[in-house]
Amino acid sequence: MENIFIILLGLTMLYIASTSRLLGHINMLVVQGVLLLLISIGGLADEQWFNFEIFNNTKENFNHILGILFILIETIGVKSILIPVFLKKVLNKTHTHRDSGANIPHFYALVISSLILFAGFMMANLHINSFKLISPLIFGVSISIIITSLWMISIKHTVLSNVISFITMENGIFLLSLAIAKEMPIVVNLGVLLDIFIAVFILGMLVLEIDNEFRDLEVSQLSDLKDYE
Amino acid sequence: MISLILIFPILACLIIFLIKNKNINNIIISLYAIIHFVCSVCLCLNFNPYDIKQNLFAVDELNKIFLIVLSVVFLAVAIYNSGYMKDEVSSHKKLRHFGYAVLLFILSMTGTILSSNLGISWVLIEATTLASAYLIYFNKTKHSIEAVWKYVFICSIGIALAFVGIILLTISTGDLNSLYFVDLYNNAKIFNMFWLKLSFVFILFGIGTKMGLVPVHFWLPDAHAQSPSPISALLSATLLNCAFFVILKVFKILIIAGCDSWARIMLYTMGFLSLFIASVFIYHINNYKRMLAYSSIENMGILAIGMALGGIGVVASIIHLIGHSLIKASFFMTSGNILKIYNTKKIKSITGLISTDKKTSWLWVLSFLGISAFPPSILFISEFLILKTMLKQHHYFMSAVFLFLLTIVLYGLLKVVFKMTVADNKEHTKAYLPITMYAPQIVLLLIAFVLGIYFPYFDTIKQALIGY
Repeated sequence: MENIFIILLGLTMLYIASTSRLLGHINMLVVQGVLLLLISIGGLADEQWFNFEIFNNTKENFNHILGILFILIETIGVKSILIPVFLKKVLNKTHTHRDSGANIPHFYALVISSLILFAGFMMANLHINSFKLISPLIFGVSISIIITSLWMISIKHTVLSNVISFITMENGIFLLSLAIAKEMPIVVNLGVLLDIFIAVFILGMLVLEIDNEFRDLEVSQLSDLKDYE
Repeated sequence: MISLILIFPILACLIIFLIKNKNINNIIISLYAIIHFVCSVCLCLNFNPYDIKQNLFAVDELNKIFLIVLSVVFLAVAIYNSGYMKDEVSSHKKLRHFGYAVLLFILSMTGTILSSNLGISWVLIEATTLASAYLIYFNKTKHSIEAVWKYVFICSIGIALAFVGIILLTISTGDLNSLYFVDLYNNAKIFNMFWLKLSFVFILFGIGTKMGLVPVHFWLPDAHAQSPSPISALLSATLLNCAFFVILKVFKILIIAGCDSWARIMLYTMGFLSLFIASVFIYHINNYKRMLAYSSIENMGILAIGMALGGIGVVASIIHLIGHSLIKASFFMTSGNILKIYNTKKIKSITGLISTDKKTSWLWVLSFLGISAFPPSILFISEFLILKTMLKQHHYFMSAVFLFLLTIVLYGLLKVVFKMTVADNKEHTKAYLPITMYAPQIVLLLIAFVLGIYFPYFDTIKQALIGY
């Protein structure tokens, strides 16, 4: 079951790559947040400590409870609710609804991102000894999500699309962190949360500032600083 | 002591928030600089290397060097800032935000240096991006928006990739389940090589973004050129060091694990690329603050090369880092004086600095001599040692390229500094700036040149770098 969610998460990237409506991209972020929650619950269910008894002895299982709380806040609270709501507000304020001027037509973007996802699946099926340390499917899909996001940052034209691609990259990284059977220290998890939360906020604020100052959200506008005249 | 350094800025932010006085900003920043300096000196004099495992933050042989450099530069910048901001006509709210951002920026850098856990270092490196974003955006011009956008966006991506590196490192550690450097060093020999090598690629590119290594340096010239001069000094002389420090710590894991040859090749590549790009751009530069930014990229390249060389090369890197921080901070602060006098960053609009402001012009020339490694600058020792190590390891072609690129950089800097300082000037009348805008640079340059003649800490640094 967990594998289906992972594959669906990979497929959401195809949708983002093949459409130009920013609202559609933001909705996909909501879907990604929910899928990440389902994947992490699926992963946690396999862990020995994940049963309801942990709530009986709260002192001993404090870290585990914190871990579960973190995942809930991160996936549903931040990724599915807070960030999309904030981005929708920015979208309405700036009246930018489409990113139509991408460097590569949507059809080719779809083909290329499909190839990247395919490469991810292929990588998951490689029989390398070192891969035994992690879940190969999660590794393959997350790397393909990260690469697709980075590639989309380079081809998309509006700054808002760049922010959305940045968040999908963070989602890919979150998926990768689930590939490790053991938990990351809670402080690091909180750091990740802070990173996404504040980076998105600062980037969102900057999008508004750029909109005020440049009257256009095209990345090409942001190329005034250079070394030659 | 460590608690005081780390807790004071938070309390100070509260004080700035509560006491709505225009002067409180500078007083608090200066007070923190003094406390930071005193605490750092005390920590360096009686550090206890045995409680590293127990604490998230601790002082050891290596990070005390970085800590003291940060302290000295911050103290100098705080003094300079009080003069620089004197005639700033910004609103009180804007100045208050500036105060918060500076305090949190220093806090996060100090935390990065003192952290004995890779995860915490990563979180705090991310915090430096967030804290310094406002500082770069302080002037609120069209250009500063562009600069801060590039800075936040590129660095955030870099930091995110570094996190991928940390995840991969965690995979390589097997059942260790700890990110404390001590644990990582003790168990490095049993780590999975494949994941360890892969993790270093991500960490080097991620944190290297913050360090300004080519090809992930694009934010650096814009951010350094657009931020107020005291902030440029902090960015160049302290922030880049923090990123270098984290890379240096992670590099040691690879050395212990015995798969460092691969990492060294990457460091050489990025180091020489940095030197090459810096030399090309400095040769044709038209903005003196951008010129200094490219010079920072060049020096970060030298640090990467020294680290890749190993042995005395790493010692030379640390000496270079000390010298670069002192001299570049002075250079950037002097560029702030020039900006105040001429109100432009364009090189072609500035001539005859020596007749406009003699002190600034001398500081400008001395900073240039220092950064170009003219003896007795401390950078002469470090660059000489790096070159010597290269020759000793029979990298003859590499050393020739190294010298060639440094010569181009030297020529580019010399051309600009000479033109700005001595060419005829008929338009500008004599300028008068407060003493606080000269004194910090004089002290920093003095330290850099005295250390170039008498450097008693060679053994201390060598001791701190055992294992590299």
